[in-house]
Amino acid sequence: MNIIQHVANLLIRSVFHADPASWPWTWLVQAVVIGIAAFLAFAFVAIFAGPVSWIERRIAGRIQSRIGPNRVGPQGVLQWLADGVKCWLKEDLVPAAADRPLFLAAPYLVFTGMFGAFVVLPFGAQVVAADLNVGILYLLAITSLVVVGLLMAGWGSNSKWALFGGVRSAAQLVSYEVPSAFSLLCVVLLAGTLSTQGIVAAQGGWPWDWFIFRNPFMFAAFFLYFTAAIAEGNRTPFDLPEAESEIVAGYNIEYSGMRFLFFLFAEWANIWIMAAISAFAFLGGWQIPGIAPEQIAATKGWEFVGWQALSWTIFLVKATFLVFVVIQIRWTLPRLRVDQLMITCWKYLVPLSMLMVLGVLVLLALVPEGGGADTILRGAMVGLGLAVVLVSALRVRRTFRVDREHYREMEGRDLWYPPYRLP
Amino acid sequence: MVPAVPPPVRPNPVRAYFGNIRRAVSSTFEGMTVTMSWLFRRPSTIQYPDRTEKPVREMLPETYRGLLEVDLSRCTACLLCAKTCPLGCISIETCKHPDGAREFQTFDIDNGLCMFCGLCAEACNFDALAHTREFEASVSSAEQLTVRFVDRPGRLVAKAKDLPPRRPRGSILAALIPGFGRRRRRAAPPEPPASPAPAPAAGAEGPENPEGTA
Amino acid sequence: MIPEPVRALLFYLCAGLALAGGCWVAFARNIVHSAFALLATFAGVAGLYAFLSADFLAVVQLMIYVGGVLVLILFALMLTSRIEEARVSNPTIGLVPGAVVLIAVSALLVYACVKEFGGTTDLPPGEPTTAGIGDALLSRYVLPFEVISVLLLAVLLGAVTIAGGRLRKPAPGGKPGKERP
Ligand code: SF4
Ligand code: SF4
Repeated sequence: MNIIQHVANLLIRSVFHADPASWPWTWLVQAVVIGIAAFLAFAFVAIFAGPVSWIERRIAGRIQSRIGPNRVGPQGVLQWLADGVKCWLKEDLVPAAADRPLFLAAPYLVFTGMFGAFVVLPFGAQVVAADLNVGILYLLAITSLVVVGLLMAGWGSNSKWALFGGVRSAAQLVSYEVPSAFSLLCVVLLAGTLSTQGIVAAQGGWPWDWFIFRNPFMFAAFFLYFTAAIAEGNRTPFDLPEAESEIVAGYNIEYSGMRFLFFLFAEWANIWIMAAISAFAFLGGWQIPGIAPEQIAATKGWEFVGWQALSWTIFLVKATFLVFVVIQIRWTLPRLRVDQLMITCWKYLVPLSMLMVLGVLVLLALVPEGGGADTILRGAMVGLGLAVVLVSALRVRRTFRVDREHYREMEGRDLWYPPYRLP
Repeated sequence: MVPAVPPPVRPNPVRAYFGNIRRAVSSTFEGMTVTMSWLFRRPSTIQYPDRTEKPVREMLPETYRGLLEVDLSRCTACLLCAKTCPLGCISIETCKHPDGAREFQTFDIDNGLCMFCGLCAEACNFDALAHTREFEASVSSAEQLTVRFVDRPGRLVAKAKDLPPRRPRGSILAALIPGFGRRRRRAAPPEPPASPAPAPAAGAEGPENPEGTA
Repeated sequence: MIPEPVRALLFYLCAGLALAGGCWVAFARNIVHSAFALLATFAGVAGLYAFLSADFLAVVQLMIYVGGVLVLILFALMLTSRIEEARVSNPTIGLVPGAVVLIAVSALLVYACVKEFGGTTDLPPGEPTTAGIGDALLSRYVLPFEVISVLLLAVLLGAVTIAGGRLRKPAPGGKPGKERP
């Protein structure tokens, strides 16, 4: 049972002393509970977007051998509040030559598209605002609102840079939707359902039950999806719509104050959404190792709440890790050129992701689930994943050690400065 | 991801295609490990203004052209500086006493206008007008940018014959505007000894042998 | 589950959105505004689909029409060279023939609706439709499905031919295939 129905039924039983199945106002209570859940999700976007902006700036600082914002509040954790207040107090300028209604409406459209996606994200075992049975299609569809919003902003600003940014952004989103849809199709093929909760339920808590380690094609599909999702989110290295060196700031150049902040909100929310989709579609979502979802659903009272919280935490940890990866990619890779962007999509990602769909289909037909070959395949893929982690850790260590020697010679100090020690 | 620059001989397109994929993957991987290693390095910037070893103004060279100050006890009100200034930042007014002595009415320097070109200090023959190393000039209103050096009425214009020694640079400005540029300083965070074993929390990604491979 | 008045309200909201959007498309003086008003129409129609328990159709309507068709229309509009003249670009022409066509078509539609459905019908139960649609497309309707695919392929090829024809042969010394007419 969905947690919303669960909560609504609990409410009806305890407060109104009625039977939820026959009581005429059940729908109303459910609607109210859904409204509260939607508000919580909304607050989550806002509260998540802020601190992540601070974390990103701190990480960017360390990667660039800087310190980053650390003045507002202890270590600058309140920097995002200060920025928010600043943007809030700023004048909401509308250019005189702008197409006024479109200019004013665009940020809301972008934000609605982003926010709509939160409705189907499976946060925990029963924590999802609405478990649509076309969930993943809905996720793909609702982001198309964002495209329209960006085009609207670009057109409404009546500025050539904004128009370029909007058109670039739309071209990019439309193109990269293809590989990301194909990669998610692999997931749908394995799960046999479009529902987000169904996809999570088809996986398991242990890494070898995750879709990413199911077979080599899924492993590749994960990275294809991640790349395409970064491009869809207009993040570096695909941030052509906001390429400062070419078109100043892209579609949001004419915006100021709170409307500008809405675009930034949408960007941060989008990082979270893509990380969450990757986490639930490939990395097992909220699944707790060793506990089947049915066992969770069978529990009652506080035990139920506790399991929910645990599953919620697991999902958050996975998604947050991916958010970190996105941030690190942003400060690692340089921006692509427009032609390179399109070549990457249509010549590399699209054919490769089609290949992955074919491969998954073939393996689905040839390797029965639970058989010996399946077990070997999963074991090999988990080994491969571990190897990637280990090799990258060793590479990090080697890079660091080489430079440490030089640093000691030059500065007479140790280069080591752990990330948790904030300067 | 980056398409190959076409070399003179056309490469096998299939090999080029997969070569590009391989290069994209390996270069992204390389780049990620490099940036990851920077998370464990000491930031090379020092935070201004309160974490530097000494105030930044003391680290500047003697010839630094900061805010102007005038030592009125050495100023003969010759108006050379005011006339030299291309922008007219300096305004000097004097009045004459019946006994012949001259008295300062105004000696204002508008720092909001000044471009710190140094022409006025160059023109002053008596080492009265000089640049200090003070540069932190932020104030909360535009009028405060004009520094009024005549601190009390009846300050007499100096005679070129017997000038007192120049007061130390910066002391006049500091006395005139209390707190001007003197920011609160915090102690730098305690620095752990230079080469102890790194904390174990870094896990596999931290170097295990602090002495390196030496 | 949801009582009748609320359902009716939802229905009229969706239908009103679709209709208002459609009117705006028709009457806006600015062609870009018309294009953006299509968004409301598509969203309203998607809402109607969802209302009729056609969840798959509703989502696909959003995805294809908003994400694909509308964006393409906007793209075409924004890439046209005389974009500055878009402010007043929907002149009203042919009022009388338009009215005749309008009346004829609406009469036909109303007749068809009344004849086929004859008033109200019960709403279908809210069940997932995705699997059913997939089965139908790949078994009973596989031929039309494939014919449509071939048609789309032909369209794609045609587009490539038309667009590709404008690319010149590589000039000696120039980069191959990058020449503009
Ligand atoms: S430094 Fe230059 S601009 Fe400033 S007061 Fe002196 S002469 Fe004028
Ligand atoms: S500061 Fe120097 S140049 Fe200016 S009036 Fe005084 S003595 Fe003359």
